[in-house]
Amino acid sequence: MWARQCCSFQDETAKDVLQQSYLKILEGRAKLKDESKAKTWLFSIIRYTAIDELKKAGKVVSLPTTYELVEICEETDFTDYEAIINRLPEMQREVILMVFYHQMTIAESAETLQIGLGTARTHYERGKKKLKEMITKVQIQQENGR
Amino acid sequence: MEDSEQINRFFAEMKKQDEQLEIPAFPAVKTRKISLWIPAGIAASAAFTILFMREPAPVEHVSPEVVIITLQEDENQNQHFIIEESTFLETWESPTSSLLTDY
Repeated sequence: MWARQCCSFQDETAKDVLQQSYLKILEGRAKLKDESKAKTWLFSIIRYTAIDELKKAGKVVSLPTTYELVEICEETDFTDYEAIINRLPEMQREVILMVFYHQMTIAESAETLQIGLGTARTHYERGKKKLKEMITKVQIQQENGR
Repeated sequence: MEDSEQINRFFAEMKKQDEQLEIPAFPAVKTRKISLWIPAGIAASAAFTILFMREPAPVEHVSPEVVIITLQEDENQNQHFIIEESTFLETWESPTSSLLTDY
């Protein structure tokens, strides 16, 4: 699931990323040093493999630091979770997914993303706020549309 | 916590939807078995290749080196030459041996 989330929910790219990550582990190119950090280690491998894969495919678009939330268009369905999540800035999306979807701590997500705990906490707070706004907005849109 | 409830519900629904997705399994590691079978397979293939690709040894056709000409007399006292070809000579009598015994 994490591979898919790192590839903007593109199934085929995610499968390739997962295969390449398995290869890295089997060939010993990625080594686990601390067994207690197996989850963050695996998440990091998948994330970096996905970044490389998207770069190769020319699908990586660097975002400006002042990235603002894209307005929810009226057609967005409340059950289209992927479309809603995809509207969050990359780092916020990754932290939020790790914490809420994969039940990781903010510290673990910081380790996976190789950023400081304070930065991860900021992404978490901002992401949570934006996601909440979006969910509320989509729900209101749906109710008005009925 | 109340603050996160809406988000928790959102992700719970998302997970439910994701349950239908198929996740490729991590390949089983069989490195030891493979490491024994690969050299054995290579050795067997090499042995078969040598066995079947080797040219058969040419069969030597020995040319006759000895021609035996004998003069035989039949029941009507007629003399016949019998010519035989052979690679070896079982008995040999010198053509001049009669000179030693008869004289």
